[in-house]
Amino acid sequence: MQATWLVFRREIGQYLGSPLAYVMGAAFLLLTGITFNNDLTLSIGYKPLAPALIPTLLASILILFAPLLTMRLLAEEQREGTLELLLTAPISDSSIVVGKFLSAWAYFTILLALTLVYQVIAVSISFPDISHMLGSYLGIWLYAGAALAIGTLFSSTTENQILAAFLSLVTLIVLYFGDAISQIVSNTQLADILFNLTLRGHFMASFAIGVLRAEDIVYYAGIIVIAIFIAIQIVSSRRWR
Amino acid sequence: MIEVKNLVKKYGNFTAVDNISFDAHPGEIVGLLGPNGAGKTTTMRILTGYMPVTSGEVKVAGYDVIEDSMEVRQRVGYMPEQVPLYPDMTVEAFVLYWARLRQTEKPKQRTQDVLEQFGLLDRRKKLVRSLSKGLRQRLGLAQALVHSPSVIILDEPTIGIDPKQVVEVREVVRSLRENHTILFSSHILSEVEQICDRVVIINNGKIVAEGTTDILGEQTHSGLALYVHIDGEKAHIEQLLHDLPAVTDIQLHESGFIIRGHDEELRHAVMQVVADHRLELLEMRPVDRRLEDIFIKLVN
Ligand SMILES: Nc1ncnc2c1ncn2[C@@H]1O[C@H](COP(=O)(O)OP(=O)(O)O)[C@@H](O)[C@H]1O
Ligand SMILES: [Mg+2]
Repeated sequence: MQATWLVFRREIGQYLGSPLAYVMGAAFLLLTGITFNNDLTLSIGYKPLAPALIPTLLASILILFAPLLTMRLLAEEQREGTLELLLTAPISDSSIVVGKFLSAWAYFTILLALTLVYQVIAVSISFPDISHMLGSYLGIWLYAGAALAIGTLFSSTTENQILAAFLSLVTLIVLYFGDAISQIVSNTQLADILFNLTLRGHFMASFAIGVLRAEDIVYYAGIIVIAIFIAIQIVSSRRWR
Repeated sequence: MIEVKNLVKKYGNFTAVDNISFDAHPGEIVGLLGPNGAGKTTTMRILTGYMPVTSGEVKVAGYDVIEDSMEVRQRVGYMPEQVPLYPDMTVEAFVLYWARLRQTEKPKQRTQDVLEQFGLLDRRKKLVRSLSKGLRQRLGLAQALVHSPSVIILDEPTIGIDPKQVVEVREVVRSLRENHTILFSSHILSEVEQICDRVVIINNGKIVAEGTTDILGEQTHSGLALYVHIDGEKAHIEQLLHDLPAVTDIQLHESGFIIRGHDEELRHAVMQVVADHRLELLEMRPVDRRLEDIFIKLVN
């Protein structure tokens, strides 16, 4: 526990202390801000504000954003050799991986929380469905956890950060659009099953439209647990190589 | 403090460490000497709890490296071959991080102490990336010592730094001897001879010689070795030197010879020969090749 916290704290310090993190954070807020602003403009006369607007946008942005946020986590430790010091410190291998993953998720949580400013604006000028809105935030938060866990997993497989980012990007794209192949076979049952396996399927069909389902929460939590478990095994296996 | 018994380590089918046994006691600096690929790093990684053994029994600070890995790790200070650092941290934060991860009591105080010990106190707010090679080496030592380990494992700590810093590191290592058990690896013989009380020479994963630096020297040769360079035809000079009763061994070296024999007689005999045959003595100096001999003999 103690070690997880120490690793977490160092990593959060790295996120908040590096210029790159600020650039990414600024890009994140700019993108969400522009989208919100457009929606705001449309809301004058055309349609009401979309409560799940920003989380829905983030669902696709995260495909690229999660690999960028996590690629460094374990790959850099391997390249710099500091993983050898971590693995010879009196701490468990899992505390290293979990601490790192949680730091990425926490950093994302901070960025996500900043976009709540837009929601405050929305609430102050119109009457959006607040439970729909908050539900979609919960959804994207879980979704991000899963995407970041996958990024953490691939960061553990190599000492090359770019390769780690590429591998998680490909995996996330497959997990996001994976059901697209069902359009070729044109079997609605299969399409349904595949859709339910995708990251998108558990967000667009529920959180995004104001529905909270236990199965979606279980799906994202499951991905987090499995990805982190595998990452821990991979880090431990460094000892055997 | 370090007990290694019949240690074997295989990477797949390749045996990197082949049934070695040795030990090291408190207050002792033991040198692990061997050429590249001998198995030094592998041995050290096992001692630090980084990787498991294939077979054999390894105890550090009284604890089994496999069964009580955490106890061992808490009591070992380790500086890997390429000193691993976090370039974006400050010197102080870096040391404090390792102090805390290793559950050091009073981590802040200990951090100050080791920074002072290694002359890094005035640079504590500097980023690690801004340090010179020599200072990084000191930082590597600082992190290895911050949790007051009883066993210190240093993997080729003098590699890649300039000669002045090498001397500095050697002095630091000597100064740590009193309260610690130190295992020091190197492929440089003279260094091990200078620093270590005892040396374990390994090659291809096997121990080829072991003992105190003095005893090891005597095993191959007792007495004195001189390098002599006498002007004249090589074969003729060699014959003359060879015929001296004081000389027990002669071999070609650089532009002269290395001769061995018994103490002061040797020097005297050479002077005599030079005088008798009206030769010109260009150079004569004692050579300290005790361990080097063994090393070269054993390793080739
Ligand atoms: N992770 C590894 N996988 C396979 N072979 C390895 C590994 N690490 C070291 N070796 C091999 O084991 C031998 C001993 O290596 P090492 O312990 O690093 O030697 P040294 O530190 O004395 O130079 C070398 O032949 C090296 O190539
Ligand atoms: Mg080595």
